[in-house]
Amino acid sequence: MSRLIIFLALFGLLASSPVFSADADYLQTLTAQARAGGLAETRQWRALMHYRDNLIFPGVTGQADDPAFYLAAAGKTDPAAELEASLKAFFAPPLVETDSLQHAQCKFIARYQWLREVLNFDPHRLPPQPCPRFHAWRDALNARSLTLVFPSAYINNPSSMFGHTLLRVDGADQDERTRLLAYAINYAVGPDGDNGVLFTFKSLIGAYPGVFSLSPYYVKVKEYSDMENRDIWEYRLNFTQEEIDRLLMHAWELGPTRFDYYFFDENCAYHLLSLFEVARPSLHLTDRFRGWVIPVDTVRSLAEQQDMLTEVVYRPANNTRLRARLAELSLHERELLHALLTDAPPRTVLADVSAVRQPLLLEGAYALLRYEASEGLRDHAAAARRSRELLLARSHISAGEEGSEPPVPTPRPDQGHPTRRLALGLGREHGRDFQSLALRPAYNDLLDPAGGYTEGAQINFMDIHLRHYQNSGRVALEKLALVDIYSLAPRDDFFKPVSWKINTGIARTRLRDDERAAVFRTNGGAGLAWGGWDGAVVYGFVEATLDVGARLDGDYALGLGPSLGVFVRPLPAWKINLHARLQDYRFGDEHTEREFRLEQSVSLSRRHAIRLNLSSLRERGAERASAELAWHWYF
Amino acid sequence: MKNRIALAAVLSLSSISAAMAAPNNVGCGVGTIIFEGQSGVAPQVLAVTTNGTLGNQTFGITSGTLGCSEDGVVANPMKVSMFLDTNLDKLAYDMAVGQGETLESLANLIGVDGAHKAAFFAATKAHFSEIISSERANTQDVIAGLNRVLAQEAELAQYARLV
Repeated sequence: MSRLIIFLALFGLLASSPVFSADADYLQTLTAQARAGGLAETRQWRALMHYRDNLIFPGVTGQADDPAFYLAAAGKTDPAAELEASLKAFFAPPLVETDSLQHAQCKFIARYQWLREVLNFDPHRLPPQPCPRFHAWRDALNARSLTLVFPSAYINNPSSMFGHTLLRVDGADQDERTRLLAYAINYAVGPDGDNGVLFTFKSLIGAYPGVFSLSPYYVKVKEYSDMENRDIWEYRLNFTQEEIDRLLMHAWELGPTRFDYYFFDENCAYHLLSLFEVARPSLHLTDRFRGWVIPVDTVRSLAEQQDMLTEVVYRPANNTRLRARLAELSLHERELLHALLTDAPPRTVLADVSAVRQPLLLEGAYALLRYEASEGLRDHAAAARRSRELLLARSHISAGEEGSEPPVPTPRPDQGHPTRRLALGLGREHGRDFQSLALRPAYNDLLDPAGGYTEGAQINFMDIHLRHYQNSGRVALEKLALVDIYSLAPRDDFFKPVSWKINTGIARTRLRDDERAAVFRTNGGAGLAWGGWDGAVVYGFVEATLDVGARLDGDYALGLGPSLGVFVRPLPAWKINLHARLQDYRFGDEHTEREFRLEQSVSLSRRHAIRLNLSSLRERGAERASAELAWHWYF
Repeated sequence: MKNRIALAAVLSLSSISAAMAAPNNVGCGVGTIIFEGQSGVAPQVLAVTTNGTLGNQTFGITSGTLGCSEDGVVANPMKVSMFLDTNLDKLAYDMAVGQGETLESLANLIGVDGAHKAAFFAATKAHFSEIISSERANTQDVIAGLNRVLAQEAELAQYARLV
């Protein structure tokens, strides 16, 4: 067989020499047509080849970091040469496809189909190849529509703290009840990726290769909804069959193509947008993102397109479902739930419960048991045995009251406040008036307008605060938060999460000579929070702070101490945080710091808010009161 | 208590490294054990499932035939077993309740006709203890149990060989 292939290939090479001139003629014709039509400069060609304008010098550069993706030697920077090299490649003699070998017309099928249409290829002079692998793949996907999937942010994992997006290809043979069977196209770091913090760091500098991949949607649902407990939003998009086909052809063409993965800009969300631009070249989605791309912003940019969303489906995570179930149980029933997790026969525990309520209790107990087992709070073998017993008991009851589904949160993620924030303010500190300017490129803090973000999760990134002092005319850096993460997770009788915080950046501290100097500050802590009274949350932390700076005695100060606070939301648009903190610096430059702070924000819309901060800070025995009123604009 | 968490973390760590060392056909009906789902402690603390990394049920798009994947889609003969491998516990829950998207999806995969779906759901509920025969049942056990139950039902016998 292989000998036959070699023979055929050799024969093809020999036999092609006489017709070669005919091929060359037609190639020349097509090339001339392409030049005359300026095809290399079109938006479609740019999208297909992932060309982007250079930042400084004229010209473009392709974003694919894989030499195999560009057929011309200079194809990464020369769109015209690349187009001509592609045309030439389409004339390659027919071949038998293998796992590692495809004809150029099949391997680069999106380019081929587009050029075939615009140049109107003559099938006799440039015979189309059958591409069996591509067609088997496309038939297996059987795509009918596209859905942008947005698993919400997961603050406990640095690599997904801003959320993630993937693209679901919905098959014609599925409906809303069987969507688990769809496939998801995911742009991610290849199998060599590390985890957690190291991942974040290395992806900042593009040290990973990113590739597109495919997996059944049920694998992704398990990952996000069941294991990481992230709610998922599914945005069904309005693309025509022709556009869907084009997108899939391009996904095929990108197959193994490597794009260096950058956490901030060339990430999952960015590359999905570039797929949509291939599907519909009139969409301008990636242009507006320079510097950083946050998944929720890309969802917003799609949602803002006219007639783009046909449907939005909310898929609550396991824990969200469980909480909704637990919330509808009476106090007595909640006690029974705990009893159901012991070894007592379920039937005995439920003896006094009406038949219609029994399913709710058994289902709730099962969900709680699985949750506790997954948290490592229960012996695996015993939990497995009990899980089956609970389900067996449930299978013996025919019907009952149905548990209610969690309410769909409003606003949706795409309707929350934009992630960039500019603030202008007026204030007075220790008798000195100042004007303030603050810019935060990303992303959300606890006092920002509510909705669309994970409750209790704060991430401020590169948050810079400047002050202009009225009397001295001096402009000073008040604060620069490189990263400021706060996870406030209330506990109750079923869930016992630990709250935590970490932040690092430049802050001001009062020195012995009464001057306020800038130091490099890193602060972190762990704590507990309780909530449940109309959105109010009470919290307490133990914190540690390390200040480093040449002006400090010994160049550093290390402190420890408690903090306490309460969060209240008297009205949906009005948030209040009352906070007290004590830090006792026992190492390095010894001193103490005590602070009371009252922060309030009133959101006027999802783009505007007013904030009033009052604080009293006692550093090295000296009191310093300040007040600041600021207008916040989200854009 | 603390020891137990540490033990769980160590255990799940070792099971993760075992999974990483496993060949590519993990998730292809090799026999996941029900209720033995990955512990959440390790994933949360160590961030095992990141947006960035490809899991072993994630396939390259033009990677050819590899394990249970053909260019990124699940090869036909593996469809049911791979689905079960990932969803055994959720399927058990749906069977016990008598409905749910995991059960609906399984019915779709097997090709259960719309007219027979109610009977399919009723049978898997009524014979729950035979299909999920123990708390250590694996994918193969569930497939065998499902086949036995379907074969006994006149209306559903035609689907028995399809699982």
